[in-house]
Amino acid sequence: MARENRWLAALALLGGLLFLSPALYSIAVSFQTAQSYYQGGFDPTLDNFIRAIGQYDFARYLLNSVIVSGLVTLIGLSLATMAAYAFARFDFPGGNLMFAATVATLMIPSHITLIPNYLSLARVGLLDSYAGLVLPAISNGFAAFFLRQYIKGIPRALDEAAYMDGARPIQVLWRVIVPIARPAILSMGLFIFIGEWNNYIWPLVAVGREDLYTLQIGLARLYKLNPGEGAVDWPLVMAASTITILPVLAGFLLIERHLVRGITMGALK
Amino acid sequence: MSAITLDRIRKTYPGGPQVLHDVSMDIRDGEFIVIVGPSGCGKSTLLRLIAGLESCEQGEIIIAGRRANELAPQDRDIAMIFQNYALYPHMSVRDNIGFGLELRRVPKRERIARAEAVAQTLQLGPYLDRKPGALSGGQRQRVAMGRAMARDSSTFLMDEPLSNLDNALRVEMRTEIKDLHRQLGATIIFVTHDQTEALTLADRIAVMMDGHLLQFDTPEAIYDRPATQAVAAFLGQPPINLLPAMDLPGWQGPSGCVVGLRPETLTVHASRPAGPAIAGRVTLSEMTGAVLVLHCDTDAGRLVVAAPRSALPPGAGPVWITHDPGKALCFDQTTGARIETPVRAPASRVQAANVIA
Ligand SMILES: Nc1ncnc2c1ncn2[C@@H]1O[C@H](COP(=O)(O)OP(=O)(O)OP(=O)(O)O)[C@@H](O)[C@H]1O
Ligand SMILES: [Mg+2]
Repeated sequence: MARENRWLAALALLGGLLFLSPALYSIAVSFQTAQSYYQGGFDPTLDNFIRAIGQYDFARYLLNSVIVSGLVTLIGLSLATMAAYAFARFDFPGGNLMFAATVATLMIPSHITLIPNYLSLARVGLLDSYAGLVLPAISNGFAAFFLRQYIKGIPRALDEAAYMDGARPIQVLWRVIVPIARPAILSMGLFIFIGEWNNYIWPLVAVGREDLYTLQIGLARLYKLNPGEGAVDWPLVMAASTITILPVLAGFLLIERHLVRGITMGALK
Repeated sequence: MSAITLDRIRKTYPGGPQVLHDVSMDIRDGEFIVIVGPSGCGKSTLLRLIAGLESCEQGEIIIAGRRANELAPQDRDIAMIFQNYALYPHMSVRDNIGFGLELRRVPKRERIARAEAVAQTLQLGPYLDRKPGALSGGQRQRVAMGRAMARDSSTFLMDEPLSNLDNALRVEMRTEIKDLHRQLGATIIFVTHDQTEALTLADRIAVMMDGHLLQFDTPEAIYDRPATQAVAAFLGQPPINLLPAMDLPGWQGPSGCVVGLRPETLTVHASRPAGPAIAGRVTLSEMTGAVLVLHCDTDAGRLVVAAPRSALPPGAGPVWITHDPGKALCFDQTTGARIETPVRAPASRVQAANVIA
């Protein structure tokens, strides 16, 4: 048994390293000078980061990404949680139809909505703005669906106990449902955040102003703008990539411990 | 004025059979009502209707003089203890008990003091910081109890709140609830399976079966003058003996009815007494403390007798059983309704008369 576990652990570690290796490689390269990268040798430097931030405004892109992904996550998660609670707990006219429509949005590929979204935002003059970046992403059918399933699993008796204690539905949501569903909500939040952080197509389409670039757009441009003498300045690109992945990684490590166990234990007999 | 009036309540769960059939009740302010009945008869449903967690398709619920059918649970000033506790799993015992106070904007200091005082009386002091997941069944039940007690509502609904406690604690909690009732002067509606609980706690008992309210009266009335055979059979431990009148020697009441004889109204004799008696033998003798419960095979079928321990010498052979006609109950053979028997003489005289005869 113990030996078997050890083998499994070793295997998992190997798999993990395999998955991580491109990221580790890019982080390693980001600390090298162009010279040492192309000609060998080891000459650690922060120069690539300084250039990415000083010369190419990656600090600004980082800020934009944080703002856009942060807003999308916050607003999207709030809307999804409220919709999920309504779908899970209340019978209201058209509720089933609305839920069916919500689920149906999961079948629509985002590329199909790309152009209609562009046209409607252009019409209301929201292209080239934070609002234009955020708005199309805040209605998240998958999140609403996923959280509804989770909330349905929470015993309704808890809602009823809270009603008897004098709570209004919004208090039930906020004081009972949300704390209990926290692992699911946080997981969903992480999911939304990473999805938006990595979003490339929509910012590319919706934004032309450089001061609104997100990291992904900045990264792509950096790659295109720096062919050097026929060769890409890889250490610089890798430094920019590192700036792109580190915040997500840090965020994940920060909330990872909240993502595990559910906590309805002990509620009922 | 009555605190709660139920007027011909009918309830059918969507897609299910009818669960409550024209239940009417007048509950007075400050009364202690106990609802008893077999599992599935609609006791919890009735409580949920009063609480406002369920709506009924017909009938009226009047709370404190106002029609309450459309009133939300939060607006009814009713505290409830759920059959399955329904504790908030993410809150400590202290917060579980104090949550209702917090929602009512009771200042934090007062709230905590009150929650802790309630926890003390419920012997939950050591567990104030624990989450429900780390409590035993009995402890959880007490937290559920405390959550209702912390708020001074005018009405308490309790759905089998003592079912999971050990005997000593149950007796203690019973006293606790009675004290609570006396102190707060609150109206309490209490569901239980336990007859002792029902008989000791209630001002009035409501006996329900299959969604019908069979009888709603004082414990004495329910026990001594049950409305139907079913009520008589449901209450009383050991249960009442029911036998056709014609099988009972010396029966002078109406013939063609079913006679109900409470085990403690029967007398067992080791030798044939004068006058009519049922002959039989003891097949099982249960020692329950002060009282001996004798299961007898007799000419009139199986009879259960509750007798003092000195009633029979050890190793007795055949026995004879006599009954007290003044305490016999008589039920209609087809409807099960109780028939007033003409024999209503005081027990002692009848007993004496019997012996002489
Ligand atoms: N939500 C529901 N939907 C459909 N039927 C229900 C629902 N809740 C209860 N019932 C049915 O209603 C009837 C009465 O249930 P209820 O819970 O009131 O019984 P009870 O008297 O409290 O029983 P117990 O003593 O076992 O708690 C039962 O037949 C039950 O199956
Ligand atoms: Mg019940």
